[in-house]
Amino acid sequence: MPTGSKEIILRGLPISKGIGIGCPVFFASMDDQVPEVSIPKKEVEQEIDRYRRALDLSRKDVESLQRLSIHEGPAEIVSILGTHLEMMQDPLLTSVIEEKIREMERNIESIFCHIIEEYKVRFSSLQDHYFQERVRDIVDVSRRILGHLRPLERVRMEEMPHNSIILTHELVPSETVEANASLISAFVTAAGGITSHAAIIARAKGIPYVTNIDIKELKSHEVHSLIVDGSQGIIVLNPTRETLKKYQEIQRTHQMSYKLLKDASFLKGETIDGYEVRISANLENPKEMGEIIKAGACGVGLFRSEYLFLSRKAFPSEEEQFHIYKQMAEELKGKPLVVRVFDVGGDKTVDLQPDNEDAKYFSSIGHEANPALGCRAIRFLLRYPNLLDDQLRAIIRASQYGEIHILIPMLSDISELRVVRKKVLEIQEQLRSQNIPIADHMPIGCMIEVPSSAIMCDAISEEVDFISIGTNDLVQYVLAADRSNSHTAELYFSTHPSILRLIRMVVSSANKARKPVILCGECAADPAMIPLLIGLGIREFSVAARHIPLVKHTIRKWRILEACRLAEGALEYPSAQELKEFLAEETVKY
Amino acid sequence: MKIVRKVKVKNSLGLHTRPAASIVKLLQPRKSAVQFTHKHETINARSIMSILMLAARKNTVIEISVEGDDAELTMQHLVDAFESEFGEK
Repeated sequence: MPTGSKEIILRGLPISKGIGIGCPVFFASMDDQVPEVSIPKKEVEQEIDRYRRALDLSRKDVESLQRLSIHEGPAEIVSILGTHLEMMQDPLLTSVIEEKIREMERNIESIFCHIIEEYKVRFSSLQDHYFQERVRDIVDVSRRILGHLRPLERVRMEEMPHNSIILTHELVPSETVEANASLISAFVTAAGGITSHAAIIARAKGIPYVTNIDIKELKSHEVHSLIVDGSQGIIVLNPTRETLKKYQEIQRTHQMSYKLLKDASFLKGETIDGYEVRISANLENPKEMGEIIKAGACGVGLFRSEYLFLSRKAFPSEEEQFHIYKQMAEELKGKPLVVRVFDVGGDKTVDLQPDNEDAKYFSSIGHEANPALGCRAIRFLLRYPNLLDDQLRAIIRASQYGEIHILIPMLSDISELRVVRKKVLEIQEQLRSQNIPIADHMPIGCMIEVPSSAIMCDAISEEVDFISIGTNDLVQYVLAADRSNSHTAELYFSTHPSILRLIRMVVSSANKARKPVILCGECAADPAMIPLLIGLGIREFSVAARHIPLVKHTIRKWRILEACRLAEGALEYPSAQELKEFLAEETVKY
Repeated sequence: MKIVRKVKVKNSLGLHTRPAASIVKLLQPRKSAVQFTHKHETINARSIMSILMLAARKNTVIEISVEGDDAELTMQHLVDAFESEFGEK
């Protein structure tokens, strides 16, 4: 690092977490210097053609970006790009501009910039924050079109050198989509909101991002290198060796949660003293199976089959389901696949048109005053046995292609389990009599997410093959606090002592009956909770694929005895707040 | 034929990008000229950007005017779309 350059710390607004260290790249924004030339009348149509071509190329750009994103990008990106395509067909960007060229007889760039500027002003003057934010989509679309009108001046986000930190007035979504997280270390902008599309994309890609930094002022400094702390909203220009070291240290811990950990993901989730903790993956979309295997999962611990229904707004037939489950089982090559039967109804419904054939299932239940306590999950399926029968038959038929388990959601009474088991036996018999090959044994488990089942877990454990604790709902039901309700959100504590006691109770009942327990729920991905849960006796977690590396890493830092001591200590606290403080203190050293 | 009717925006985010896009799409096969008026501002309903610029929030009342051969059918489609909250309910 050259001497003489002073370290400067600037404070902005944090948008996307993480630490980025790299060299500054000032990214030009749509510039003011557009040449203004008059066009002879006979060349006007030519000028219009030039505009149409640029529009066409821009459309193709966005279409190909969209195709790329459908496979690997988050769903938000696809829909943002869809909006951009719509805008490019908007009369305001097509006929209005063509008319203006005819009328003004000037070059398209100057006309285009004038009109866009007008739209920008109008959008920015809107009162509503949401609509105001859409100005960025307009800037984005116009920048792309202008880029095609002036092809030589385009610099592309995907062609940045390694360790680039992009400094620009503001980010537009489609450029952010192109950003390659392995080349770009961070974004710093002057303008941008937390809810902007670019922010959503930066977070999805895991690129640190700080806004509200005066970029113009920044240009006046001689910047050799900089650090962006997207968690604190701080940027450090020309960091000293000491600062650099400090941030590299933080970055290392951060990155552990991803890149470094991912490499070690094939390792077992094992404590220092050799106790294995199995880490499986939660899954909504069967197409993401490849990622799960790559992430080093022991199997699918929770397949939320209702997404087959929610995504297509129709219950899949037995045949469709059979093919999906069969393919998943085959891809897993003997690793277990836990299919949770449709958890629909209550708050998990979709808006079905009245003419949708499946709307009848929901309309006959009608409006529920307490959907969370209403006819959902297994209650819904028992009300409509044809849906349950179809699904069970599909699962049982697929069972011979791998290791498939059935999971019953929201069990509140053991009778529900007995009905399902009886059905399974009947279907097995039926299929065998038709000489359809099926697996010999069909394990059935139930979700412990209703307090009654947690309390009765000793009896339930005797009759199931495995137990799955769903903490998200369990916490909500035990504490009677809706976490999506902002007035009760602060009562919703996954670390409430009552929850820990219940988990301990469930684990010990299951152990007595020698039945395995899986814990699924967001708290399974919290590094402060993991040792505690292991200490309470949990030996299998199921989490979203992207959390697997972090969970495994956390487990590998603990000894079982220390985890048990931690859990014992934790159980003594009377309130969630005290327990939380204790946990923070005890787990920070790891 | 020209028809004018008032409708209320019922979906929670107002006429944001998705509903605006669905209005534009819905009008594509229709022949009539369609305009929305809100707070003395009248815009072409086939323009997604113009719809956004109305910044119509939930509970805003929009005046729809449809003029052309298929005015009646077009109006019916539009009213249904507003009524069903653009499939977001």
